Amino acid sequence: MGILGPKQFAGVVIGHVPPPIDDVTVVANIIIEPYDPGVAGNVDWVLLSYKLPREPSNPRVLLWRKLRRLGAAQIVDGLVALPADARTREHFDWLADEIVEAGGEAGTWIARAGSLHQEQQLAARMAGAVTGEYLEITATAIATLEVADSTARRRTVTRLRRELRKVGARDFFPPMEREHAHLAVEELANAIAARVGASR
Amino acid sequence: MRWATRSGVHVDRAACAWLVRRFIDAEAEFVFADDPEEVPDGATAFDVRGAELSHHGSDCSFETMLAKFSLDDPVLWDIARIVHEADIEDERFDAPEAPGLDVLCRGLSMVLSDEDILVVTQQMFDGLYEFRHRALMLGRDPA
Repeated sequence: MGILGPKQFAGVVIGHVPPPIDDVTVVANIIIEPYDPGVAGNVDWVLLSYKLPREPSNPRVLLWRKLRRLGAAQIVDGLVALPADARTREHFDWLADEIVEAGGEAGTWIARAGSLHQEQQLAARMAGAVTGEYLEITATAIATLEVADSTARRRTVTRLRRELRKVGARDFFPPMEREHAHLAVEELANAIAARVGASR
Repeated sequence: MRWATRSGVHVDRAACAWLVRRFIDAEAEFVFADDPEEVPDGATAFDVRGAELSHHGSDCSFETMLAKFSLDDPVLWDIARIVHEADIEDERFDAPEAPGLDVLCRGLSMVLSDEDILVVTQQMFDGLYEFRHRALMLGRDPA
């Protein structure tokens, strides 16, 4: 499977059609089907339910940062979700323990959305969250093409590649902007290589 | 001594098992349990939810074990930096090696049994220890 292909969770491909997908509409790699309240979601989710004391606020801030880094989606206050796989389940398990150690209450759950529509809404929200980050990376890469200082350009490539990896780690439903960002950064890297070649 | 950890071994458990065998209990025997309730009597559990030798605060189990067994070898703490980032990915440490170690361990878990992963990662961590040992002595990466 290519780097930009749909992600798999425990053998389940989002949209339950194996890649490559050519003849269906794909938005953020989720196949859009007519809303059918009878069809349940097909992604296993791991949920973290938690309650942390208001004070001290430090554990709350720490938890919030970790959840953001993982790309967890908030369902309601004190309930967050990630597509379930070995890695996400383990992260939530440890977070639950951390919350309990900090004087709170927490539990982890494996769940499915009651309807495909509900699942798609959650997935679209998660895709939306990383879209902004990808757009920013693309804009920086394009702007850096015009920067004259070659050392600064190379440093930007290194930084943007690192950011792509970080965003990629929390990108469970890749939007189209993901591919654009990767292409823009590689184009910047190629432009640098071409200039180095020309000056030799 | 018998030691128990969760099945589906990943980087933190592999590192802990290596640490146990090399620095704590050369005769260590490892058993795997899917649930904390399944840990056999008399076995010392590690990297199992609720166990003493497990994640605490923001520390991974490897860090907890180093502290618990008062292992102050700087090479081990240097490896802890890598294991922490490979396991928790919270950017607390600068560990460029971590994503690579994470990928290798995930890949091994796709093709090997838990028992075989411990055999392979034993050598992997021996090599990592030697590399980081030389790097710390030299003050730069060894050739």
